[in-house]
Amino acid sequence: MRTAHPFRPPPPDRDEPLLDVAGIEVRYGGIRALTSVSLHVRRGEVVALIGANGAGKTTTLRSLVRVVPWSAGRATFNGVDLSPLSTEEVTELGISLVPEGRAIFPNLTVRENLEIGAYLHRNKQAMQESLEDVVKLFPRLGERLAQEGGTLSGGEQQMLAIGRAVMARPSLLLLDEPSLGIAPKLARQIFEAIRAIAASGVTVLVVEQNTRLALEVAARGYVLRTGEVAKEGASKALLDDPEVREAYLGGH
Amino acid sequence: MKRVPAWVLVLVGCAVCVGLDYAYSATVAADRGMKFWLMIAVACAINVLSATALNVVNGMAGQFSIGHAGFVGLGAYLGGAVAAYVAVAMKIPLAALHDNLSFVQSLIIVPCVVVPVAVVCAAVGFVVGLPSLRLRGDYLAIVTLGFSEILRLTVLGTVEDTAKNPITKAIAALGGSLGYRGPKLDGDFVGIPSVAGPFWTVGIAAFAVFLALRLKRSGFGRALRAVREDEIAASAVGVDPARYKVTAFVLAAAGAGIAGALLAIKRDGPGIVSPANMRFDKSFEVITMVILGGSGSVSGAAIGAVLYTAVFYLSEEALNQAARAGVGFLANVDAAALRMALFALTLVIVMLVRPEGLFGERELFEKKRVAR
Repeated sequence: MRTAHPFRPPPPDRDEPLLDVAGIEVRYGGIRALTSVSLHVRRGEVVALIGANGAGKTTTLRSLVRVVPWSAGRATFNGVDLSPLSTEEVTELGISLVPEGRAIFPNLTVRENLEIGAYLHRNKQAMQESLEDVVKLFPRLGERLAQEGGTLSGGEQQMLAIGRAVMARPSLLLLDEPSLGIAPKLARQIFEAIRAIAASGVTVLVVEQNTRLALEVAARGYVLRTGEVAKEGASKALLDDPEVREAYLGGH
Repeated sequence: MKRVPAWVLVLVGCAVCVGLDYAYSATVAADRGMKFWLMIAVACAINVLSATALNVVNGMAGQFSIGHAGFVGLGAYLGGAVAAYVAVAMKIPLAALHDNLSFVQSLIIVPCVVVPVAVVCAAVGFVVGLPSLRLRGDYLAIVTLGFSEILRLTVLGTVEDTAKNPITKAIAALGGSLGYRGPKLDGDFVGIPSVAGPFWTVGIAAFAVFLALRLKRSGFGRALRAVREDEIAASAVGVDPARYKVTAFVLAAAGAGIAGALLAIKRDGPGIVSPANMRFDKSFEVITMVILGGSGSVSGAAIGAVLYTAVFYLSEEALNQAARAGVGFLANVDAAALRMALFALTLVIVMLVRPEGLFGERELFEKKRVAR
């Protein structure tokens, strides 16, 4: 893949985190889904956000793309405050979310699904190049371009959702449970693709329940528990951590 | 196959429409049977326009509007009033106002009617589209229904005796329950000018279908359909759902308004617009056309409209003829009611056999996509 963001020159300060989240709190009505989440992602990193059901992983991602508002805290991307922005504006900044549960457009063809991913760069040539990149990444999609999205298998739909996000040429890719409900073999393929996307220069924040798979691809990880960051560290350290092993890796 | 250049198509289309127009003027005077078929063709064309417009908001954007007749009625009232005003300004004698005007006169009057009607209806469509930002599904449907009922009841309930301020007086001039029947001459209403021949009705409908096809295949149409499928996913690729939903309402309202105006000012038209034009069953007729043809398919909506309209008129004619020919039992039943019952039954069967409509989301002559 060619460099991931030809449209945005990298800013001068490479040490500044690309995404900086400080003490975000999210409430659904009276219930606090996130108490205080702080994390940061540096340029080019792959970071995993792991934790049990209901820990607040999905809420964290959804709040970052402004689908749900936060009630306290602050998040900046490339130094830009995200709080006043809408979802579309966040996407324009270069953050692409792959939503949970294969949120593709089922009645659009695979090609249309991918083309709409490039909505922000409606340049025929660039769109064609991105499409070729995605097909290289997921050859299965290339065979099914004329098919309706809804006719794909679960794994293929997940590939399509990721492909669609890549079409936007993001500098930060947010993935919400890419392995959810997918055969283990396909899940591994999908994570290989995520590795390739990261290698092309895209920064990745991935939310996963499949802890081992996520930490194998990510360099660092955060463990979320009841709306708070309970642990953070290098993937290797987390994989060796007795508590993490006990709680999320089946205790062996 | 080499593609035919667009300008050739446009020229041929215009020539066909002008030809139709003169054929219409020539035959209508001479032949009653011909008049019947032309009447059906014009009704089909107007319904094609109306269904194509509704398909943008219901089919492509997935916002369920059941207030379409409100826009059609608004367009009809506005169109009728503006046409009468323009005709009077052109010094056409009042006594001849409702007679079919010439093609040359229509070249002046129809654009003067269509453009302002489209603009006003688009503006109203914008306002009605705003609730779509907060409401969805059934809730939005009720808002659109409320809109058309408010329009209808406002016109119905505002009469000259009670009108006090300029606004109510203006609404009262639309005739209340009796409908708008053009300007008065010696105490009698002369009727709305009948100006728009097939050149306009068929021509505008064909142009609308062409535009809708282009719209569907453009990036705009793709974004519209993405919003229909999944709003969050659409905004996650940078599509602003609010913009697209409201634009869909604006386009549908403009199309419906033009359809209404044509209904009011067509050749051999009724010369009257009544509040019944805005009744919700009129909205459901258009929804039926769209769903029958296939929600989201432009050619589907057009063909649904033609089928619905043709069957509607032809079945009436067939039953009338059968009754006249002395088919025994028809003498004792209400032919209109029987027709509606058969019609409804047909729709039920079509929906059972093809729930996605005749075309699904596909277009006529489009390669088959692998469906679910």
